[in-house]
Amino acid sequence: MRSFLGVVTFLFAAVASAVSTKGNRLLVLLDDVAEKDGYAKFLGDLTARGYQIVYDTPRSEQLSLFELGERQYDHLLFLPTKVKGLGPKLTPNILIDFVNAEGNILVAQSSTHSASTSIGNFLAELDITLPAGRTGLVVDHFNYDTITASEKHDVLVLDAPEPVRDGVKSFFSPSADAVLALPNTVGHTLGAGHLLTPVLRAPSTAYSYNPKEQFDAVDADDLFAAGKQLSLVSVFQARNSARVTVLGSAEMIQDSWIEAKVSRPNGSKVTVANREFAKALTGWTFQELGVLRVNEVEHHLTGDNETNPGIYRVKTDVTYGISISEYAWDSWKPYNLPENDAIQLEFSMLSPFHRLDLSPVSVTKDATVFGTSFILPDQHGIFNFRVNYKRPFLSVVDEKHTVSVRHIAHDEWPRSFVISGAWPWISGIGATVTGFVAFCAVWVYSKPTPKAGKAKKTQ
Amino acid sequence: MRFSVASSIALLAGVAQAASSWTFSDGTVELSPRAGGSPQVHKLSDKSQVDSVVSLGVGEKIKVSLTTKEGSTSKKPHQAFLILKEASGLEAPFPLTVKNTGKGTVEISHRDLPIQLLTSQSPLHASLVLGSFGSSSASVSPLFDLSVQLDPNVPKPTYEPALRYGKQPLIHHTFRSEPKNPPKIVSIFFALAVVATIPALFVGWLLLGANVSHIGEALSSAPISHIAFFGSIISMEGVFFLYYSSWNLFATLPAAGIVGIVAFLSGTKALGEVQRRRLAGKR
Repeated sequence: MRSFLGVVTFLFAAVASAVSTKGNRLLVLLDDVAEKDGYAKFLGDLTARGYQIVYDTPRSEQLSLFELGERQYDHLLFLPTKVKGLGPKLTPNILIDFVNAEGNILVAQSSTHSASTSIGNFLAELDITLPAGRTGLVVDHFNYDTITASEKHDVLVLDAPEPVRDGVKSFFSPSADAVLALPNTVGHTLGAGHLLTPVLRAPSTAYSYNPKEQFDAVDADDLFAAGKQLSLVSVFQARNSARVTVLGSAEMIQDSWIEAKVSRPNGSKVTVANREFAKALTGWTFQELGVLRVNEVEHHLTGDNETNPGIYRVKTDVTYGISISEYAWDSWKPYNLPENDAIQLEFSMLSPFHRLDLSPVSVTKDATVFGTSFILPDQHGIFNFRVNYKRPFLSVVDEKHTVSVRHIAHDEWPRSFVISGAWPWISGIGATVTGFVAFCAVWVYSKPTPKAGKAKKTQ
Repeated sequence: MRFSVASSIALLAGVAQAASSWTFSDGTVELSPRAGGSPQVHKLSDKSQVDSVVSLGVGEKIKVSLTTKEGSTSKKPHQAFLILKEASGLEAPFPLTVKNTGKGTVEISHRDLPIQLLTSQSPLHASLVLGSFGSSSASVSPLFDLSVQLDPNVPKPTYEPALRYGKQPLIHHTFRSEPKNPPKIVSIFFALAVVATIPALFVGWLLLGANVSHIGEALSSAPISHIAFFGSIISMEGVFFLYYSSWNLFATLPAAGIVGIVAFLSGTKALGEVQRRRLAGKR
């Protein structure tokens, strides 16, 4: 029985490694397990990608994220629930522990359900702010679906997101002219933290309001956020590369919307790309995308065969190379840098002496080697070769290799005869030696001369 | 029948509304100066923006007031935002307080502006967004440009830009400068000048009568000692030369010791012979 379990876990692990880099145990939390039928296409896509999905409700007795201190699940998916709190099994602390244990969380929200306090506090911990009372609805009187929401304007029709800034990988744009439909969206705002990245921001004319209280007009004091300050889909990547994603509209991944046809005011009917977007979003959150692996780091004296020596001399020419792979859906691929981005090598003692861009040197089937050559600084001490590559949407790469850099030994300096400034001194030594030997000869073998005798007498 | 009439009326209304859009009228932007003075008033229009740049100084405030309209009837919209946009694309919304009659106002002073807009180098662009539920089309009207004047006597407010992951500026180590040599011709000149002292020394000695005439006498009285002693002096210089060119200290010290012992043993005899010659008055 035990060996059978072992085989099962082994197989389980093998399957897990085939789907995501972090395993395939996915827990989906919803009010009522029957609600999953509304998400059949979305969840079917996940199953087809190899996830073992467990459905549960927050009220369930046997629900537990940890068993004997180990994670029970690799990924968590929160679908909107009506309950106010998620109970003692899913407190914000436990969710933070889950992230600290490298578990990934996808939170889907809907304006028809107030977010639970547990989710609200958990997101607040990540510096993601939900509207007051955790209830809000994003409307845009310019970009709405005229087919289903011509009156209430609560179905946003937006272009697929572009990268937030230069040099960031774009994982979430299915195609250039793809359109997303977001019904009943809850917006959120992001703090200034560098671990947070917005994926989809509201258009500049959109705003969030509370449909229960602000049905008449939005007061200046009660406005939660508007325009691009309002994020609809955001991601958080912790320092341990665990990922948390907030999806403002859970309806967009329901069967009724995932492949719906929508039309903007004065626009034509188009089919939304929600399914592709949801695939990219879950793929990224559950670490099927944007996961980097360092295969090997190699440094050596240029032109020398010894790899990774522990000691170098100042002012020698050193070659450094780092081999990086990127996981994409089901396999490791060579990593390609986005435009205007660079992997940088720092050669540092306390602070960097050199910070250099690494360029791709060679590409193999599953890895790219980035490398450069440079001259070690004229300062001896303990130095680090450090590649600190942290970028939005990519898992953390921080490689540090320590080496000693020694000064020039006494017999490694140029000899004095090649230094032209030393020539008068060298000839001075020659003159002294010649003079000394000649003086010895004269002193030992000289015969007194009359001339010398006279000179003595005159004295 | 009744139902169909009602629905057709609703449909007609919908069509009529679909043609209408949100606009405003009677719009003004009023700049009230700090100490009394008459306020500057610019008229706003939904067709074109104000030509001159409105400048907002310390303690001053601008007040935008207008009447919102759906089509031609005054009505309160759900969204009436004055949006200030900075050149970088950063926006700040200022919702208007609108009465049911459609009269809306908003006041903006330095205190209301986020620091990024307050310290903006170029004028801010103000536009008005009007929109509401239903089929009337929403509108964005450019209103005016606003330049924010800060008090030149007060230090500019600063803010720390948030940390963002990305590539960092390159650093190249600045090496200490290489040791420099004087021009070679100068070194050669002084080297030759030093070497020239040897013939000068020999000429001087010869003029003073220096010679080595007793060499035959010395060699005949103590041949081995004299050869060994003088040889050891020359070989000591040879040892020093080898130390300079190739040997290390461990090769040099034994060699120097052997040469030294030879010099000591042969020197006692050789120098004794020299002393005898001196005592005999031959020196």
